[in-house]
Amino acid sequence: MVAERAGVGAVAEAAARRPGRPFPRRPRGGSRAERLAPFVLLAPAVLIIVVLRLWPLALGVNFSFTGDGDRNGTAVGLDNYATLFADPLFRTALRNVGLLVLLLPAAVAIPGLLATFIHLRVPGHRVYRGVYFFPAVLSPVIVGAIFNLLLAHDGPLNAVLGAVGLGPVDWLGDPDVAIFAVVGVHVWATFGMALVVFLAGFSALDPSLLDAAVVDGASFPQTIRHVIVPGLSRTIQFVFVTTMIGMLTSMFGLLLVMTGGGPEGSTYLPEYYIWVQQGQFNQPALASAASTALFLIMLVVGLAQIAVLRRAGREGR
Amino acid sequence: MKQRAPWSAAVVLGLALASGCGSAAAPGPSGGSGDALVVWDWKSGDADAAAYLDKAKADFATRHPDVDVEFVAQPFDQYYTLLGAAIQAGRGPDVMLFNGGGQLRDRVDALVPLDEYVDQDRQRLSGWEAFTRDGKTYASPVTLQGHPLYYNKALYEQAGLDPEAPADTWDDFVGDCGAIAGRTGATCFGVGNKEGIGIQFFLSAMGSAVLTPAEYDDWIAGKRNWSSPDVKRIFELWEQVGDAGLNNDGINSTAMFNDAFALFQSGKAAHVIGLMSDIGHWKDFAEFLDRDDVGVMAAPVVNPAATPSLPYDGGIGYAVAKWTRDPEVAADLVRSLTSSEALKAFHADAGAIASDTTIDVSAGGPAVTAITAAIRTGKPALHVALSSRTLDLMGRLSQQLVSGSATVDEAVAQLAVSDAAG
Repeated sequence: MVAERAGVGAVAEAAARRPGRPFPRRPRGGSRAERLAPFVLLAPAVLIIVVLRLWPLALGVNFSFTGDGDRNGTAVGLDNYATLFADPLFRTALRNVGLLVLLLPAAVAIPGLLATFIHLRVPGHRVYRGVYFFPAVLSPVIVGAIFNLLLAHDGPLNAVLGAVGLGPVDWLGDPDVAIFAVVGVHVWATFGMALVVFLAGFSALDPSLLDAAVVDGASFPQTIRHVIVPGLSRTIQFVFVTTMIGMLTSMFGLLLVMTGGGPEGSTYLPEYYIWVQQGQFNQPALASAASTALFLIMLVVGLAQIAVLRRAGREGR
Repeated sequence: MKQRAPWSAAVVLGLALASGCGSAAAPGPSGGSGDALVVWDWKSGDADAAAYLDKAKADFATRHPDVDVEFVAQPFDQYYTLLGAAIQAGRGPDVMLFNGGGQLRDRVDALVPLDEYVDQDRQRLSGWEAFTRDGKTYASPVTLQGHPLYYNKALYEQAGLDPEAPADTWDDFVGDCGAIAGRTGATCFGVGNKEGIGIQFFLSAMGSAVLTPAEYDDWIAGKRNWSSPDVKRIFELWEQVGDAGLNNDGINSTAMFNDAFALFQSGKAAHVIGLMSDIGHWKDFAEFLDRDDVGVMAAPVVNPAATPSLPYDGGIGYAVAKWTRDPEVAADLVRSLTSSEALKAFHADAGAIASDTTIDVSAGGPAVTAITAAIRTGKPALHVALSSRTLDLMGRLSQQLVSGSATVDEAVAQLAVSDAAG
């Protein structure tokens, strides 16, 4: 033990003598209170994470391997997962996740483009900034109710279409249209936050680059392509990932109010599927399996986020 | 950072390998105490239910003055989700409100059979069947829920039809609908099938006009022949009604509550398959239409071998949780909640057709008189006999029938499989 301590001391001394280090590190082995202090300070955060995050997660995963109904409490292996992937509704939900990923560029481009206009000070840009952000403070339930009225078969949007000679569209009743209507409303309701992030990104953009583009006679599309997009690459990547996570986890309220998963189950998303299995069909174990599947999807998205941000950080240096 | 991703995956894998133990619905200790009962419902926040609850509480207090009762009103759209969480935790209300049928039958493991406590109420109340599973009763009915075919007598008059003699055969009915559409612009039916409820109401309202009495009884008894021509005829009728333009436009994006009912109330639809408990019923309609213009008619006969009848079951009812400390006291509260005095108040204020059919409803007007007269010969509703899962599937298939993306044969085949699975 003495030899061990001597070894530790030698390493500490060597570290303290390392060239380039402005101050020598304090030798380890201070008072007991000092050694315990970091653990004490970390303990509340660790406890919260373990008790409120990891433990419920573990329970959820555990439940997903037990049965529902008559088999309640018994281990059923992967039965719930087999049921899940045999269920056309869950497969539709997964397909819709893929669709959301495909629609992602539009969801990022809209706030990006509008932020560009605001940054370039189009007339009334201050008003637009507030107007664009306003829906972000509305509850999804309110947004859904508003658009239920606007998109009703006999609603004002179809009245306008009828007035210009276009037939009515069953926005929320046509299975080929409804998912796009819901995603469109979600983008409308949430792009304000992305807009703010873009505006923050613009504030860090060197204005001399934009001035140089003007002097060189660059058109607006050329300015966007060669100046704004490269200059905001880290912001764009951040908005991309956060918008994707928002689409996968925050559309439940809107979905519930606007379509209830219909028509024909065409607007199901994993979150809504979980709610139906748990709340309507009293199948908590199957819902847990679906939750675990959603967690794994989010894990993949999260790892992609880490990879993207790491790459962005490397490029930014 | 690089090492965090494998660690995350390892945690998930470890959890998966160590899982499979325990239960999603572990039993737990009682949620109530000996001198207090907690009741969950979605009614006690309504002004229309205030007098009903006051009467029930007063009745219970005379028998158990030392027991406090607390009503907790939950939002209906989240009610069964919250109840499911309470059941899984083994903690929750002592007494809880249920819709009759699948919602209760799916959860009887968490309930106390009430047969020994409610024997004295058997004859006085109707609608027990909807709260029964495997021969045991798990709740006492408060209201009756059914699906009368309401019609607008004013539109009949405008169309030159006799409002007191609506059609009694399907062909005559379609002819009358043509006359109404031509002279008033109103559609035949106001339908909302956004949540798949429209098909449930249609199945039950029209079923007795299509199935023979024997087929009807077999269906209720669980012997459902989904490939029989008469069963298929109901779904064909649903499809044809849409194709013939008898419904309002966009029924797959129209909510039954309250958009479809609004079409009827505003005179844009001549008929609606409504309810008879405390919403979407004669009293709601009479707030906008003249009370005497709200008519109730029997389903027009589609199959000459059929005998139309009012489809109805127990509507809502109170059950007792198995974790309550004293089931007898909790059952006494259920009895108070279904006492005649309380139910009289619920009918008077909310317009519900109460489970106690001895209550005087003569002040309710002609629609109520017609409904209560039909109760004597009524039968359980067809859709209530189906499981929640089959109803959910039927809702989606009915939307496909409307859009043309499924055929009737495909629909009944899928329903047969789901029904067989239970």
